[in-house]
Amino acid sequence: MTVSRARLADWVCCLALIAGAVIMVFPIYWMFATSVRPHAEIFEAVARLLPSSLSWNNFSAVLTRYPVLAWLDNSVIIAVVAVALTVFINLLCGYTFAKFRFPGRNILFFAILGALMVPIQVILVPEFLIVSWLGLLNTHLGVILPRAAEAFGIFMVRQFMVSIPDELMEAARLDGAGEFAIFFRIVLPLSKPIIAVLVIFTFMWRWNDFAWPLVALTNQDMFTVPLGLNLLRGEVNPDWGNVMALALLSLLPMLAIFLAFQRYLVQGIASTGLR
Amino acid sequence: MRSRSIPSLPRRRAARHAYATRFPLRRRSLVPYVFIAPNITLFAAFSFLPLVYAIYISFHDWTLIGEPEFIGIHNYLRLVHDPLFWRALTNTLLYAVGTVPTSMAIGLLLALGLNRRMPARAFLRSLYFLPLVVSAVATGTIAAWMFNDNYGVLNAIIVRLGGPRVPWLSSPFWALPSLILTTLWVRVGFCMVVYLAALQSIPQMYYEAARIDGAAALTQFRHVTLPLLKPATFLLLVLSIIYSFHVFDLIYVMTGGGPGFSTTMLVQYIFRAAFVTGEMGYASAVGIALYAMILLFTILQWRASRQAENVM
Amino acid sequence: MRHRYHMGRRGILGAGLALGTTHAWLAHAQSPVALTLSVWGAQAEQDAFNALVSRYQSLHPNVTIRLEVNGNSMQLYQLVDTRLAGRQAPDMFRIQYQQVGRYAGARAVVDLTPHLEQGYGSQFGPAFWQAVTYQGRQYALPHHTDTFALYYNVDFLRNIGVEMPTSLDHSLSWDEFIRVARQLKQKGDAPYAFAMAWQNSAAYRWLPFLYQHGGQLLDAELKQPQLASAKGVETIAWTQSWFKEGLVPPSTSVKSGEQTQNLFANGTIAMLLGGDWQIPFLQQNMAKYKWDVTYMPRDVAMASDLGGNCLAVSRDSKHPEIAADFLKFVVNEDNMRAFVTSAQFLPVRTALMRQQLDYALRPDAMKVYVEQAATIPDHLVRTVTMPNFSKINAATADELDLAFTSDQAPATTAQNLDAKIRAVLGG
Repeated sequence: MTVSRARLADWVCCLALIAGAVIMVFPIYWMFATSVRPHAEIFEAVARLLPSSLSWNNFSAVLTRYPVLAWLDNSVIIAVVAVALTVFINLLCGYTFAKFRFPGRNILFFAILGALMVPIQVILVPEFLIVSWLGLLNTHLGVILPRAAEAFGIFMVRQFMVSIPDELMEAARLDGAGEFAIFFRIVLPLSKPIIAVLVIFTFMWRWNDFAWPLVALTNQDMFTVPLGLNLLRGEVNPDWGNVMALALLSLLPMLAIFLAFQRYLVQGIASTGLR
Repeated sequence: MRSRSIPSLPRRRAARHAYATRFPLRRRSLVPYVFIAPNITLFAAFSFLPLVYAIYISFHDWTLIGEPEFIGIHNYLRLVHDPLFWRALTNTLLYAVGTVPTSMAIGLLLALGLNRRMPARAFLRSLYFLPLVVSAVATGTIAAWMFNDNYGVLNAIIVRLGGPRVPWLSSPFWALPSLILTTLWVRVGFCMVVYLAALQSIPQMYYEAARIDGAAALTQFRHVTLPLLKPATFLLLVLSIIYSFHVFDLIYVMTGGGPGFSTTMLVQYIFRAAFVTGEMGYASAVGIALYAMILLFTILQWRASRQAENVM
Repeated sequence: MRHRYHMGRRGILGAGLALGTTHAWLAHAQSPVALTLSVWGAQAEQDAFNALVSRYQSLHPNVTIRLEVNGNSMQLYQLVDTRLAGRQAPDMFRIQYQQVGRYAGARAVVDLTPHLEQGYGSQFGPAFWQAVTYQGRQYALPHHTDTFALYYNVDFLRNIGVEMPTSLDHSLSWDEFIRVARQLKQKGDAPYAFAMAWQNSAAYRWLPFLYQHGGQLLDAELKQPQLASAKGVETIAWTQSWFKEGLVPPSTSVKSGEQTQNLFANGTIAMLLGGDWQIPFLQQNMAKYKWDVTYMPRDVAMASDLGGNCLAVSRDSKHPEIAADFLKFVVNEDNMRAFVTSAQFLPVRTALMRQQLDYALRPDAMKVYVEQAATIPDHLVRTVTMPNFSKINAATADELDLAFTSDQAPATTAQNLDAKIRAVLGG
């Protein structure tokens, strides 16, 4: 057992991790490389790892041919409103399940967890009928509301809140604080890590949602970015340079959110009862 | 009550437990119901109601564009004798077996590796998590592009290295492995983050104690780390299995369920019955069967994990 | 400007009175009407539709029509079916002739007969008129057709010293076609000899080969399948041999999503059995090679595919009479000519079918398609326009895909498919 052997193991491990990271990044690089390649190079059977020259035509083409800015706009509105709504009501709900006892609690909790497991394809058509009956087709709300009660979020919040000491709430109650005040002034400030986790995951899910918006949004100007991407991809003669350019554009906002919140991600998940 | 003055963590927890059972927060008020009302309302309107409707439809013959016709349990009888249903179920299980343990194992290895002190650790972690921010449609699109037989970059590299062209997405043998590889690309980052979180919440004192006892690194891993990773493993197992039973967008984009039926999963089969062959009632019956299976699976897992904990 | 619109509206009112249309129509003609038209198609088709919409809107200032473009026909059907279930379908949508029966049978589209004058149907080619007729009533208006022929890479064919036929009478026989394909493969300019554009489950495009061989999918009364016969099994075996011999790329089976026009444009395949609507794409993207078109191969008979689309009014439309009026406008002689010549399709009005049309691109190639269209068998038209054909098509795609990708024996394939078709026809 020498120091050098441990060192060597360290190096091997480090190199393996770097090699793995290269594999992880490569598809995204390839997206980029395809989108900036000169048009004639795209279908060449001998794929060049580096494009022979950079051409930004695909980005300008995709922005002028399709209402991409409207799509981005819709995606942002839907994701932001959905995140705000979902995170808020999930926190309330998870807190309640963690800290209150009331008749029907267990049944309701398991019913909500059961909802987590319904594949959206199974309820796609009934969901469509309900949303169309509410007059919410082709609206942002029509996409947001059906997925707002996120069972996974409630589950995570509950796990987190269980470890908040009851004494804090009890003390506030003795001081005469109302339940909403307790939630806002005591529980929320303690919940930052779990809020970060919920924000990242909810944003990710809503930003990337496909099956439900595909049915609920039929007007092209109301499309979200994944729907637009599916439209381009499914065209009779898809222009792969354009498709890749849009795919790349579609992941930039998500990347920004991720970079902003990633510091809290591990810490947040760690605080949800994984110990 | 006196125990509250003692600072040790486990003792404090035990005290809190005792306190909670002796003085449950049994408030007569409507507060808890008000707090869960928004969620319950949304859940009832957009999950429960559609599910009930799907069950209702599963007893009908409905083309979606015509009028539903009641046919009793015929759809469920048909399901039992439908070879394609069993094929889709087998495919789904194969996919789950191919993705769940592998992504969790790789994720654990990555978490162990990236939990050590090393240069650019945070940056490497971000890179592994990166695929999760790519939507399934975008992932499927780029993957189909890279796996393409004729102008995909993977075959180009293989051919340049002197290997034969692999019919990735066009042979029934390779299509599922291609999908599994793509899924791993997406999933390992998630597993890694969850395991990292779990590793970081293991108190250092356990390792110190183990080291004092003279335990080697491997022994430490087996007797300290692994047992304490159980909750994380359980969470990942449940989520990954649900995910692999739900997988749709990726396959819709990459193979559409083919070649033949080699990548037709249950959800694909539901989609196909509903929108391609105009059998909404049958699609609902398959959907209800799938839902029942997922539910059963999760309950079994949950009970197994509880039993395991009780034994410890 | 405003003044001219008023004139236009009065002109329409006059026309409406002259035709003796109903009172309701007049009421609508005055109040603003918003309609949606859902289609799919390549850029040239979208442009052509947009031109039609703006022309109609300038004639009828009170009507606004929104064009919804879907990526492809599968996406459109999924969307329209779901919206029909929620009574929210677009007012008008494009459908393939193969799907008319499905929508008409479920009364999901409006019976257009009351909106058509006496003898209106006689202006259209009989096969197409028959394709939009269900139980004696019309549920759609024929818009255009297309068919299949054989694109080839002029450079690659020259390198093996083969001259392609220049008249329909001399079209390649099956044996000649395979001989050319083998030569192309051996010479190795392209990794594969050819491909057939039947991807995304367009399995009905396999049927022309069956008819070329003297077979048919159903009996004369369309009551019983008859694929499990010598002709049927041999045709399956022949098309399967393309894959077994490696003449076509393995990725070009029926259920794959491969874009065969890309393979042709970049020289991966030397020949493409494909439709006329690919001409704009090839003109734009096949810079490296010269291409030309010859006729479909033939065996004991000639046959090609019934392609193309018609337009229908959905049952959810609140203004079916105006929607019907718009559809009649779209398929009138001038507009049909404008549409097919700019988007490279074939007309379905007899007057236009007889004329030599002035195509925007490659009129020489379009001539081949026009001639080839005459070989579409009548029985094939009747088969693919049956109300249940979409189910038969799905089953055909499944079974052929198993034969092409998973080595399912031709006889088994034929028997399985016959059984599935029998179930569809019986139920």
